Amino acid sequence: MALLELKNVNKVFQSGQTEIEALKTTSFSAESGQLIAIIGPSGSGKSTFLTIAGGLQAPSNGEVFINGNDITRLKEKKRASIRLQEIGFVLQSSNLVPFLNVSQQLKLLDKVKKNNLNDKQLEELCESLGIRDLLKSFPSDLSGGERQRVAIAKALYTDPSIILADEPTASLDSDRAFEVMDMLKKATTTNGKTTIVVTHDTRLVDYCDQVYKITDGQLRLIEEMASV
Amino acid sequence: MFLAWNEIKNNKLRFLLIVGVLTLVSYLVFFLSGLANGLENLNKEAVIKWDADGIILTEESDLTLPQSSLKIEDYNGAGADEYAVLGQFYTIATAGDNKANISLFGIREDEFIMPKVTEGKVFKGSGEVIADDTLKNEGFEIGDELQLSATDETLTITGFTDNARFNAAPVLYGSLETLQKVRFGESTENMKDRINGFVIRTDNLEEVEVDDSFQVIATQDLIENMPGYSEQSMTLSFMIYFLFIISAVILAIFLYVLTIQKISIFGVMKAQGISSGYLAKSVIAQTFLLAVAGVIIGFIFTILTGAFLPAAVPVAFNYVDMLVYGAVLVLVSILGALFSIQTIVKIDPLKAIGANVWHC
Repeated sequence: MALLELKNVNKVFQSGQTEIEALKTTSFSAESGQLIAIIGPSGSGKSTFLTIAGGLQAPSNGEVFINGNDITRLKEKKRASIRLQEIGFVLQSSNLVPFLNVSQQLKLLDKVKKNNLNDKQLEELCESLGIRDLLKSFPSDLSGGERQRVAIAKALYTDPSIILADEPTASLDSDRAFEVMDMLKKATTTNGKTTIVVTHDTRLVDYCDQVYKITDGQLRLIEEMASV
Repeated sequence: MFLAWNEIKNNKLRFLLIVGVLTLVSYLVFFLSGLANGLENLNKEAVIKWDADGIILTEESDLTLPQSSLKIEDYNGAGADEYAVLGQFYTIATAGDNKANISLFGIREDEFIMPKVTEGKVFKGSGEVIADDTLKNEGFEIGDELQLSATDETLTITGFTDNARFNAAPVLYGSLETLQKVRFGESTENMKDRINGFVIRTDNLEEVEVDDSFQVIATQDLIENMPGYSEQSMTLSFMIYFLFIISAVILAIFLYVLTIQKISIFGVMKAQGISSGYLAKSVIAQTFLLAVAGVIIGFIFTILTGAFLPAAVPVAFNYVDMLVYGAVLVLVSILGALFSIQTIVKIDPLKAIGANVWHC
């Protein structure tokens, strides 16, 4: 079943007199268990794609389905609640709250959403991300890589069906980058999620089931792994 | 509350400053309310002490007791449950080195405005008076012979009573005869039925029947028309109301700046799907905590200051008033916070996460 589906979606921005088509008409679908990479230079429309897929903005045309629900014309309040329930974001900029320590970052999610990971699953998650000893640390005490791993923990903690990651390995060394990809891969396949990674790090494509390339707003499938 | 409290815990200095400002504002509000209350007491104590509902004055007196002049036979008690005659005269009393502005009340011993003596004895004959006990604090004593300005008559203090100041002057209570002697000197005989008003107890002032040249007013109106009374209390009330506005604005500015600083954090949280409502509630909760802390500390400071003030400062704390003012301060602080709520609602999660997008 397609967890995420975009049907004939495009995004047009008005810039003064001219119209800019940041995302050309695209159809896209991601199945449960798939890890998908989207690569492309900056300004190519990657972020636009990701924010439409994540329900952060509505497309100009076309429809977006998340877990079978049409979210295209929903109001922000409704979309926010779908983001909370269905989507885990790993953002390029650190998405941590500076005045909460790591365990409080996760606890905040308990305040706004039910059915998050239980204690045992959380422990496993922290173990595999190597952040178990950091639970009492504040974001300012963490290195870039540690922050990124905490951000991933945060995204996975709500047990979303879709994980959208914007350059998740940007501030990590190769070993850590591969570990993170392993993590995402594992979360995707074992729990039937779908993960979309936007990156220009071509080292990561080996982990992915599908690789799309986006240039000038045009999304194209360039590689499909045999395993799918 | 979770976000609100943890943010306060981790940014102690910042929030301590806000609490500090609120403490000072509430301190000032409480202190001014104490002062307003004290000044009011200074004016109205003696009137409150009557425990009466109204007073009959002449139409032309412009609602002031000293300017009203009637005769004892002008009123017979029609429509009132009880009434008492009252003559009044301002003068200056001197005993040795002690000098004080006083208000002399001429009353009948058997009527209800006769005060309870807290020390000493009641006045008996002409020339004897019961004095307000603030005079005792100024050095006057029982047995003191008081020289008066503008007359050769003297008065003797036979006892003291409490809470008896009229328009800021301590009251001396004496018989009507005493008053007339002080007031009219030699011509007492012709003027002995002259008084300033009739103090009335009744359930309904409307029912009190008087001639057209007289008017029946509520004791509250008498108080409010005392020279300077309204001006004083309005000035202080105005300052207090202004402080409410100031604290709302200060809080609004502080919280707005804090909110602006947190736009990207709020934006990220909103991107994750945390609702504006949750964030707004958190800011409100935070404001509530800060305001309550400020008000409580301000209250404690006020009480402490009050305990160390010299008696000459007319401060009297009315805890019901203070409770109301404290609650209003918390309320206006929250109103100030509402200003930031719209900013939170407007935060676009897209911008906050730094997505590379154009805006329509």
